[in-house]
Amino acid sequence: MKKDEPTEKTLTRRNFLKITGGSAAVAAAVAGGVTLLPSPADAACDALPKKWDETYDVIVIGSGFAGLAAAIEAKNGGAKDVVVLEKMPVHGGNSIINGGDFCAAGTKMQKENGVEDSPELLLKDMLRAGAYLNHPDLAKTVAYNSKEALEWTESYLGCKYAKLNFHGGHSVKRAHGTINQSGSEVVNKEMAKAKEIGVKIMMRTKLVKFLSNKEGRIVGLEVRKGYKFPDDNSGKIVFMKAKRAVVLSSGGFSYDVALRQIHDPRLTDKLGSTNHLGATGEALLAACARGAMDVQMDWIQLGPWTSPDEKGFGYTPLFCEPLVGYGLMVNPKTGKRFFKETGNRKERADAILLLGNPALIIGDSYAVKKQVVPHALKGGMEIGAIKKFDTLNDLAKAYDMPVDVFTTQVTRWNSFVEKRKDDDLDCMIFKDAKPTVEAPFYAARLWPKVHHTMGGLVINQDAQVMGFDFKPVKGLYAAGEVTGGVHGAVRLGSVAMADCIVFGRIAGKKAAGEKAWG
Amino acid sequence: MKNQSHAKMIIVVGSLLGLLVVVLFSQLLWAAPKLEMSKSGVKGGDCSACHVQKKMLPEKHADTKAMNWEACKACHNKDNLSLTGKLPNSHHHMLADVNCVKCHGKTKKPEALTMEQCVACHGSTTKLAEKTKDVKPTNPHTSPHYGTELDCNLCHKQHAKSENYCAQCHKFDFKVP
Repeated sequence: MKKDEPTEKTLTRRNFLKITGGSAAVAAAVAGGVTLLPSPADAACDALPKKWDETYDVIVIGSGFAGLAAAIEAKNGGAKDVVVLEKMPVHGGNSIINGGDFCAAGTKMQKENGVEDSPELLLKDMLRAGAYLNHPDLAKTVAYNSKEALEWTESYLGCKYAKLNFHGGHSVKRAHGTINQSGSEVVNKEMAKAKEIGVKIMMRTKLVKFLSNKEGRIVGLEVRKGYKFPDDNSGKIVFMKAKRAVVLSSGGFSYDVALRQIHDPRLTDKLGSTNHLGATGEALLAACARGAMDVQMDWIQLGPWTSPDEKGFGYTPLFCEPLVGYGLMVNPKTGKRFFKETGNRKERADAILLLGNPALIIGDSYAVKKQVVPHALKGGMEIGAIKKFDTLNDLAKAYDMPVDVFTTQVTRWNSFVEKRKDDDLDCMIFKDAKPTVEAPFYAARLWPKVHHTMGGLVINQDAQVMGFDFKPVKGLYAAGEVTGGVHGAVRLGSVAMADCIVFGRIAGKKAAGEKAWG
Repeated sequence: MKNQSHAKMIIVVGSLLGLLVVVLFSQLLWAAPKLEMSKSGVKGGDCSACHVQKKMLPEKHADTKAMNWEACKACHNKDNLSLTGKLPNSHHHMLADVNCVKCHGKTKKPEALTMEQCVACHGSTTKLAEKTKDVKPTNPHTSPHYGTELDCNLCHKQHAKSENYCAQCHKFDFKVP
């Protein structure tokens, strides 16, 4: 790499300092504080390339749920040349390893299952879980458009959903599980549709920086084509002109240990993550360097259902989460329950971290057969993350639990299941739950992993990115996990898919509607 | 400042050692000679044509100059002296008379390939997945994420050591040729 080439390093270190006028301002900006920074117009200090190598109407960064939804809507909204840039060698980012639960309120499947629900109730749940830090207009946009977004994936993309699932923190079952229990059902069908309608997909192409004109309008990008993750010097520098707009849908930063530690110093490299390796924050920071405002960056979600006995997301969440409200969760040190099983992700992850040792989720044959998909059970058992026992005594002994205390605790839990009311911890107990009595019994250890970054770029209801001058950064839209404010302190399970599809579609439509700058 | 000079010394020695390790490692293992399209006509068994003045094979190894992949297999098979993971896959190709040009075309600047080139000779990935359906702990050629369409090159590298792409997130102990 030549020294004088514009690179990400020169951007983040030298130019960024120039733009923001000093390290204190950088620290404040990166740490999410609102400082009086120059307006985006002042931030535009780089000379634009004399010649653009490639020109598009709309450039989308990232090929997950949000990015592909944006690309499809931009193309259908009249943008002629639409390109999706993906830095990784495979498409789909976290979306393709996602568990495939799509939160939507008031749907046909809910009616068929006798679940009464409404966007109002979903919004209420989102705000309560989010500790009311959610930007209400954004949360409302997701809640009120969730049903239509789900139906769009069914009728327009051909996605199929098989089962209604529950996630902790929701009042009712509203997670529509894809037919293959994976987000790939949606993201692969988005990809097929995008290609079918003529969206260009460019793999191994990484954003280096946003380029803006004198007015602060985003006019294009500097990228590295032929990028080989994670080598920042790989690939060839190319300048891409974005005539109408850029949609940033690059995902969260759960795997960015340096960035996540800036915002939450507890999240060192000792904590694993459920994310794909490319879930890093450089694109988000590149937007900040162009005057985009960030929000709530220190609300980083830990998954309470991951196992220390397997890598990444693994099988255990697909075992644990369907079992809450059917089985019990105990602290193996005491043999006792310690927290409401159907609590939200933050409550549960914090409770487990507070124990200082992995917790146990337990289900009997009835609950496991009814709730856990066979492939997850099989996979988890083969890896050794899920274990099977003939008796509760065996189970207690295997985890060094005091047998008497544990079996007494199970009996107590069973009495709550029978009367559908948990006197101790107020766990929700589902109508079809039965006492934990049917052998064999299954158990898995639980230890949190970094799962989702709630914070990110500030957007408005039109998915426009907001600048530090409280005005939209012209020509820049964002959707999905790279944005902040939708979920506040806690993202409820299954709401990510709704968030990504709803705001991805909005961003794409609005981007196509932008007036071309040249 | 004694401490400082000590620290400097440590850094210098450390860097030299590091460099040495890197150099040795690259000599011994996968770092191949500079690839040149002009070597396209070379026979796969003719090690020294590319690895100039370097002994690549064990002392008593038979002369491979005239050998092709079939000949290698006379001694190296699945159960005995398996070559799986021992040679960059490009060598298998060369030994089977598939030279640079056959994949990259006639060019001075060969570019990275997509899996279309692989499939053109090796056949459909659906058939491949069918063939490996009983591999434990799971079929490596299909997944809930990418179906059968994960790019071959992500695991089966031609000019570097192959890797198990699934192992980023999964505990699948595949032996990747």
